[in-house]
Amino acid sequence: MPIAHIMASGMTGLRAGGDLVARMELSKSMRIKEAKEYVAKKVGVDPIDLSDEYAMRDVREELGLGVITSVPNAPKGIAAKMNIEKVLDTKIKCCDTFRNQLKK
Amino acid sequence: MDKQAILKELSDAMVTCKADVIMAATKKAADAGMPGAEIIDGLAAGMTQVGDLFERGKVFLPHVMMAANGMQAAINTLDMGEAGATVKKVIINGTVEGDVHDIGKSIVSTMLQSAGFEVHDLGRDVPIAKFVEAVREYNADMVGLSALMTTTLNGQKDVIELLKANGLRDNVKVMVGGAPATQTWAEKIGADCYAENASEAVERAKALLL
Amino acid sequence: MAAEYALRMGDGKRVFMSKEKIKEEAIAGAGHAVDYGSIPDLSCDEIDKIIEICIMPGKSVSVEIGMEVPVTHDIGTIRLDGDQGNSGVGIPSSRLIGMMMHERAFGADTMELGHIDYSYKAVKPIVFQECQAMEVAQQNMIVPLFYGAMPNMGLYYTPDGPYENPGDLLKAFKLDEAFASMEKSAAHLTRDIVWIMQKLYASGADGINLDTTGAAGDADAYAALNAVKALREEFPDMYIEVGMAGENIIGMHGMLEFEGTVLAGLWPHQQVALAEKAGANVFGPVVNTNTSRSFPWNLARAITFIKECSKVSKIPLHVDVGMGVGGIPMFETPPFDAVTRASKALVEMTGVDGL
Repeated sequence: MPIAHIMASGMTGLRAGGDLVARMELSKSMRIKEAKEYVAKKVGVDPIDLSDEYAMRDVREELGLGVITSVPNAPKGIAAKMNIEKVLDTKIKCCDTFRNQLKK
Repeated sequence: MDKQAILKELSDAMVTCKADVIMAATKKAADAGMPGAEIIDGLAAGMTQVGDLFERGKVFLPHVMMAANGMQAAINTLDMGEAGATVKKVIINGTVEGDVHDIGKSIVSTMLQSAGFEVHDLGRDVPIAKFVEAVREYNADMVGLSALMTTTLNGQKDVIELLKANGLRDNVKVMVGGAPATQTWAEKIGADCYAENASEAVERAKALLL
Repeated sequence: MAAEYALRMGDGKRVFMSKEKIKEEAIAGAGHAVDYGSIPDLSCDEIDKIIEICIMPGKSVSVEIGMEVPVTHDIGTIRLDGDQGNSGVGIPSSRLIGMMMHERAFGADTMELGHIDYSYKAVKPIVFQECQAMEVAQQNMIVPLFYGAMPNMGLYYTPDGPYENPGDLLKAFKLDEAFASMEKSAAHLTRDIVWIMQKLYASGADGINLDTTGAAGDADAYAALNAVKALREEFPDMYIEVGMAGENIIGMHGMLEFEGTVLAGLWPHQQVALAEKAGANVFGPVVNTNTSRSFPWNLARAITFIKECSKVSKIPLHVDVGMGVGGIPMFETPPFDAVTRASKALVEMTGVDGL
């Protein structure tokens, strides 16, 4: 059933920019319009493009935000999230945890 | 004061959920010469209203209990004559084995008790045989079966089958409820009724037993 | 004879209805919400929009391009592996695989790590296993990842927990004892949730999802909101999502207050203000499906409640659209046609920020 909702209404996560919009809702309590406008501005697209796989594929690759398919040498997991932190200007807890574990 | 006004006063007193107000209204009705059975009808109408207000989130479970207790105390003061010998209908209620959900079932038990039934709440995670034993022990008129998970829903069917195997099914009504239960499910397993919520459970029990 | 459209009952059963009948049902459903919640009714245009969505010819429908919203997926972790019979499909796989499948293959916008028992109380003795799982997941995943479970305060009452069962105490008319039992359980539950999340946040969880808040009544909601408040004070950047158990907070206690508001009897548009005050980032309102009523009745009722909730909310709403809520039929495999219609209608008509 969640897949039915994702297909009917979702921003489809890493396929486009749903995770980025969700992050702004969750970190700053932005409502949908503000969150979309914020992310769109930060990644340089129109809000409508945030659910567009075609538009977002290039954006994600260029900014290193992680893509849904397996691309060799592309940032994945925590590396992609560290790029998301910078691009969206927001803190991500696990990135901090990871950084704190690195020896100086 | 006419009869309708007295009945309304009794009903309104119940809605306050305050024992002293209920007692005062009952005494006033009795002093006015209203028969005990009619006074109880007035109080019961108020109790139904309390149930509806609970459903609407306007009064809460402790209020329901206070109203029910006030009503019982008021009834105890009435001279009921032969009607006083009326025996309460008995309901066994519980959540079937494997299912530890307790709250909804407890609310149903409380509402049934408040509506004047003698309720024996067996708790949750109740083995199916225990329902059958309780039906026999208390000579129950109805058994209420709750299940909150699709996986435990079949326990309701198992109890019905065991009641049949013990020759008790024809003596007792079966009510089912809980999130995954539906009217269709009730019909499929041969239950006598399905209730969507606690207020509906009271309505169904009244319809089948009174 | 008027054309009839294939729709559903609240239990998922197929029914055929004329346009006039759909309208009648939608008006009645909305009216029920207005009556119970003391909230504004839907307009004629909104009723027409519900009818329009109900009679769309496709089996599946979707929102207009540009109106998409993030979809959070509670307990998706074990949706694949779970074989309890309730929603899991029993494919042997780890929780990490479950989460990554949802992220990479299914297009979920956020995910959560959860335990098969899915109650905070049960997590406490195994929290360090959960921390390890969280650390591994966060190394590998990109979408926001919560730790999620249910407050489920019933587990603190006898025979499952240390405090006497208030249900039994209320039935015995021991009101003061029942109140005391609920208050002690609530304090214990708050303490457990905070303790668990201190550990999981240190292991990199993005935040917490409190799923089915208020399931054991107002004291359950009281415990959860106090946990949210404590977590927000300690962790200003933690993502906090509060999802409800039902449309109305049941008054088991009746007198508990959060920030000066009595919790019992609150409807979604009243609940959201308290979640916000406590410090939640996202609120998940619930409207229950009545299995004996039709899909248009349930959908219109859900839209009426959620629209008002969305109107007054200052924080994002991720409306609950699982089995048996938000207009979705109460059925283990909810029919696709009903799910997508509810999805489209709620997103397009209520201004919610996610599902």
